[in-house]
Amino acid sequence: MATLHVLSHSPFTDGRLASCLRVLGPEDGLLLCGDAVYALADASALRHPRLYALEEDVQARAVVAKAAVEVVDYPAFVALTLTYAKVNSWL
Amino acid sequence: MKFAIAVFAPAHAPASRRALRFAQAVLAEGHEIVRLFFYQDGVHSASANVVFPQDESDIAAQWHTFIQQAQLDAVVCIAAALRRGVLDEQEAGRYGRPAANLPEPWVLSGLGQLHEAAQAADRLVSFGGV
Repeated sequence: MATLHVLSHSPFTDGRLASCLRVLGPEDGLLLCGDAVYALADASALRHPRLYALEEDVQARAVVAKAAVEVVDYPAFVALTLTYAKVNSWL
Repeated sequence: MKFAIAVFAPAHAPASRRALRFAQAVLAEGHEIVRLFFYQDGVHSASANVVFPQDESDIAAQWHTFIQQAQLDAVVCIAAALRRGVLDEQEAGRYGRPAANLPEPWVLSGLGQLHEAAQAADRLVSFGGV
């Protein structure tokens, strides 16, 4: 059963991203929002095939995505939560 | 599809804004919100006494308007709210506090409401942190 993981903390302030990547299954999705989109600046750290980022947060921070990522707006965010069986937010 | 949305962040945190935009998109896409549940510091998103600077989005007011217009079931955790000074008229009276800051349509209730909403919904989506 695939899970959509939602991350909003910057990878530079804590270990949530590293912890998340450790438990991420091959079928799971990872959605970056808030300061977590800064993780896109380092493509080597993010080689997950189902990687998403919230459009307004990418734009607000002027992050140039180096990793292969699908940028989603809020309607697409809603659709993503239905694509996966569960949603796990890293609060 | 049916959504339950849990908010753990106060109105001034970006997570509260994301939760609001997500909830608006859920309805706009033709889905249903069975319940909004405000927990921990999320209870501050329900306070009527939050004042934002004029050049910032008033997320607390936008929550209130959204919930009223969409006639949503918006539950605020009573234990989390009382310890943070978010009180409705009844609780302010019960504990002898000078003012209430939780107007309708917000409702104070227990954590069981989150559990029930999670059971009734197809998806539970939580927003918190930053």
